[in-house]
Amino acid sequence: MAGNENSGGYRPSAPQNNMGVSATGGAGSKNGQPKRYMPGMKNLGSTGVETMAQQNAAPMSNPQTTPDIGAMRPSASMAKLRTLLDDTANPLEPQSTGVDFGRGLGSDVLPANINPDRRPIENQAIVKKYLPSFANAAKAPNAPDSFKSFVNYLVGQLDV
Amino acid sequence: MFEWQSGSLYDNIDKFASSLGYQNAGIAITLGMIPWESTEDRDAFIETITGDIPKGGNSTNYNLQF
Repeated sequence: MAGNENSGGYRPSAPQNNMGVSATGGAGSKNGQPKRYMPGMKNLGSTGVETMAQQNAAPMSNPQTTPDIGAMRPSASMAKLRTLLDDTANPLEPQSTGVDFGRGLGSDVLPANINPDRRPIENQAIVKKYLPSFANAAKAPNAPDSFKSFVNYLVGQLDV
Repeated sequence: MFEWQSGSLYDNIDKFASSLGYQNAGIAITLGMIPWESTEDRDAFIETITGDIPKGGNSTNYNLQF
């Protein structure tokens, strides 16, 4: 028996209208779940009509495009990662210019109104908290002189 | 009796304080508290941010029996 043109089968040239199907099944569609009347809402201080209106008020996010995962991959031509203190386009001024460690000039080149963020209050709190432990460690027979002088420096800071 | 050990909390703080400067004690102590994978990792980090070899106690101060 010969079927008509709507009897099914693989017909890729036929108009397709399957894009509104919900991925989660049920009564939903690509636009979300349909509005429903909810009985018994009066006991919760609302009416069924208000609840229906709320369901349509804020539709769920519906991104129209999928991000291109391939575009997020690092490119093979991406330049090698540089370190914090690598040379810049201005080799006469290293990244560490203006601070008291690393290459370049120290904080003495900064304008007078720019003070380094030494955070003295936070530093004092840290020092007060840990100084007893540091002092005990500095008494170790093989503690390096640099650590002992650091502890002496901290003690001196607390006296100020 | 307490013994000074390479890679210990106090050793880390010694290296950071000596390398960054005592005036940066707050950040030196905070960085010293990081559980570094190894002293090599710690020293590489210091070298990266200071552009110089780590300062502080040398190997003669370490208890290497671990």
